[in-house]
Amino acid sequence: MEWDWAFVWQIMPTLLEGLKLTLLITLLASAVAMVLGLGFAILRRSSVAVVARGTGWFVEFIRGTPLLVQLYVIFYVLPDIGIRLPPLVAGVIGMGLHYATYTAEVYRGGIENVPRGQWEAAKATNLTARQAWLHVILPQAVPPMIPALANYLIAMFKETPLLSAITVLELMNQAKSVANSSYRYIEPMTMVGVFFLAISLVSVVILKWLEHRFGKVAK
Amino acid sequence: MTAPIIRIDSIRKSFGTHTVLDNLSFDVMPGEKLALIGPSGSGKTTILRILMTLETINGGHIEVCGEQLYHMQRKGREVPADEAHLHHMRRHIGMVFQHFNLFPHKSVLENITLAPVLTKGEARPMAEKRARDLLDMVGLADKAGHMPAQLSGGQKQRVAIARALALQPRIMLFDEVTSALDPELVEEVLLVMKRLAAETDMTMLLVTHEMGFAHEFADRVLFFDKGHIIEQGPPDHIFSNPTHERTQTFLRKIIAAGHRV
Repeated sequence: MEWDWAFVWQIMPTLLEGLKLTLLITLLASAVAMVLGLGFAILRRSSVAVVARGTGWFVEFIRGTPLLVQLYVIFYVLPDIGIRLPPLVAGVIGMGLHYATYTAEVYRGGIENVPRGQWEAAKATNLTARQAWLHVILPQAVPPMIPALANYLIAMFKETPLLSAITVLELMNQAKSVANSSYRYIEPMTMVGVFFLAISLVSVVILKWLEHRFGKVAK
Repeated sequence: MTAPIIRIDSIRKSFGTHTVLDNLSFDVMPGEKLALIGPSGSGKTTILRILMTLETINGGHIEVCGEQLYHMQRKGREVPADEAHLHHMRRHIGMVFQHFNLFPHKSVLENITLAPVLTKGEARPMAEKRARDLLDMVGLADKAGHMPAQLSGGQKQRVAIARALALQPRIMLFDEVTSALDPELVEEVLLVMKRLAAETDMTMLLVTHEMGFAHEFADRVLFFDKGHIIEQGPPDHIFSNPTHERTQTFLRKIIAAGHRV
């Protein structure tokens, strides 16, 4: 089998469509993972034991089962109980939720690293719990965890091909469909690899910069 | 006859099986400057932390400014205070910590204005003006724009005092505020507190190992041991001729350890 540049250019628009969707999913799902993960981390610290323990179990359950299975459940099983989601939405929720259980751990570590004295000072200056979180704890907890969060963002990006299983036309699915219809796999699959590699490499450079910028904070 | 601003009535506090305070009672009058002294682990700091609601009590009652601190009335019955009630009570009380606990991500000025703006809805320009006045009072007018990490320990503690004062509490709690400082920085903090004691009618509770300062600062000294008040009275009495043997032993040890009395 020979490499066919003409074929590459011919399928390029389709692949770029897929790439656009892949990037969009990564962005949306990571937004979900960042927000939901913070929610999990805060709920796990709740003084109400049922809430704290319930969240803990839920997080362990999600993390302990494969993302692919969760995607199938959201997309193919939920309609049985009347919840019908478009593929993109199902994929974003599935990936976002799954990775939220990982980002929750990052948040937990970051939050625990804020000295207890900061909580006490917030209380002594009569801030409410919400004000303490927003103005005292999170501004100190978040910067050191940015590199770890960005790491999960890259991991999510590389996991997006899983969404082809629930008919999302992301990069991998587009490549598969052109390959299936033309019986040529080498160009589409190579190009998918090249795209992922190129973006990952750029991301790693950005990650290094983030680590340098936020990794160490002055005490 | 004025009523006490703080009434501590038979409170109990234990951490696990270890009882720190057992059936402790005392009153503090408005404007009084009280020094709490005694060996480590005698429960002095716990009392301040309980008053600041950083710890809860296991029994008894505390009244602050005429209201119950840890209890409230609901449908004619006394029930444990909820967060809203504690929030309402905390505005009477300010606290300065041994380890400063400044907000490291905020400038000196923001450390002082954060709470007044958030909790009292003060306009920022007004809060900033008062913050600058307070910084002037603690001798740090030129440090408003600095970050806490750029300050010495003594400067940090003076900012922490200004931060607590910015909320205009009626009661100030000082928890071993010079213990974490290098010896040469202790004096500047004590000087600020002396001025504060002389110039305001705030009620102040001080936990300290600086006996000389306690002597000069306090109207009344309480000597604690194992969660009980062993002896109390005017500083001249406690420091010059303590009646109780445990007070005498404690003061002798403190002097031997190089602290001034």
